[in-house]
Amino acid sequence: MPLSTTAAERFYVARTLPDAVAALAERGPQATPLAGATWIMRAPLRQERLAPFYVAISKIGSLREVTVDDREVSIGACVTHAELAGQLAALPDCKALASAAGSAANPAIRQVATVGGNLCAKGFAAADLVPALLCLDAEVELQAPRGSERLAVSRFLALRAGLEPGQIVRRVIVPRAQRRSVHIRLPLRKAGDYPVAIVSLAVTLNAGGRVDGIRAAVGSVEPTARRWHELEADLLGKPLDPTRAADKAASHGGVFRARDGIEAPGWYRVKVLPSLVRSAVRALQAQA
Amino acid sequence: MPLQLKINGEERVSISDPLTPLVDVLRDEFFLTGAKVVCREGFCGACMVLLDGKPVVSCLMPAGLAAGGDIRTVEALAPGGDLSPLQGALEQHDVVQCGMCFPGVVISLTSYLEHTNNPNREDMKAALVGNICRCTGYERILDAALSLVAPGEAR
Repeated sequence: MPLSTTAAERFYVARTLPDAVAALAERGPQATPLAGATWIMRAPLRQERLAPFYVAISKIGSLREVTVDDREVSIGACVTHAELAGQLAALPDCKALASAAGSAANPAIRQVATVGGNLCAKGFAAADLVPALLCLDAEVELQAPRGSERLAVSRFLALRAGLEPGQIVRRVIVPRAQRRSVHIRLPLRKAGDYPVAIVSLAVTLNAGGRVDGIRAAVGSVEPTARRWHELEADLLGKPLDPTRAADKAASHGGVFRARDGIEAPGWYRVKVLPSLVRSAVRALQAQA
Repeated sequence: MPLQLKINGEERVSISDPLTPLVDVLRDEFFLTGAKVVCREGFCGACMVLLDGKPVVSCLMPAGLAAGGDIRTVEALAPGGDLSPLQGALEQHDVVQCGMCFPGVVISLTSYLEHTNNPNREDMKAALVGNICRCTGYERILDAALSLVAPGEAR
């Protein structure tokens, strides 16, 4: 960092989206957007160095908006978990996301931790919102100096480590659908802890009660949340059956390259998945 | 560039780096030592303060992000030494133990009681999820807080 760098340059509070994009682009690849800061402030505990430049984006009003219409739910990048849980409480098709937002971490963290931060914290395997967004077919809208683009959450997760200078998450878009969805997590304590494993499920049922659309996503097991396509294929076309779903989950556990962590070894994270799937399918049955 | 902070109703100027955790600014620069530094991970709640009326963990709050907001620490709850009704109830129920988690517990419950129409034991437990009490005094804390709003529910 050059000696002439001032605190104002190192920590810049943007007031508008164009202001933030310009400030990030100007500062180059060493600049990082800062929203709720709950992940970035723990960098020293992870033996990671802080970035030379931060551009705070949480004061930008347009990034704090949630809008709902018949087609989609638009969630600004700086909407907090607490705000999201409140805004989605009345939307039955977004139950998984509302539950993820309302159960992550603890109440004080949920007051400041944001949707965009949860998506961008690439080292945060236990991010609750990510599997919920995956199971709801959400998209991420990126804003860059040259314009904006939308991409599926799974695609964003693959690209997020290499965003261009000035490129930031502007909002997340969740399509509306006649779906049931659920978010099941297993923390070591009842609440307030990182989940050992997460299962997010979304289904649509046909008139006969059979699954005619399904998205299953798993978080906290591998370093990055992802869809569980093998399980989806086995549940498609069948009625909701918790026992059968758990059996199928057990038979497909081998697809995960689970991470070891201080709170649980990798094998344990995989071991609990059938139980979480059983609970998830039971919860879907209960959503009439 | 100095930071303009509104702390307990007073405009203060901080010379700290904007990325300094708010708890360190409060304790080291302004000697408001009610908020405690314990885990620095946002898990324990000992550093909790109110920012614009909402409880936040000040160990993970960069001072630069708190600038422009209304920061209230536990010290503000008893101006002139007059305890708030909640603090009075906690004292009357002889709840205070080692004191490490307690400022955060008081902040959490103050916010909960300010923003909740029908306080009850289960919701209070949920509100205290982020306040770790190593003395395990939760039930008496709940009894004390409930005595303010629903005497029949307190044990």
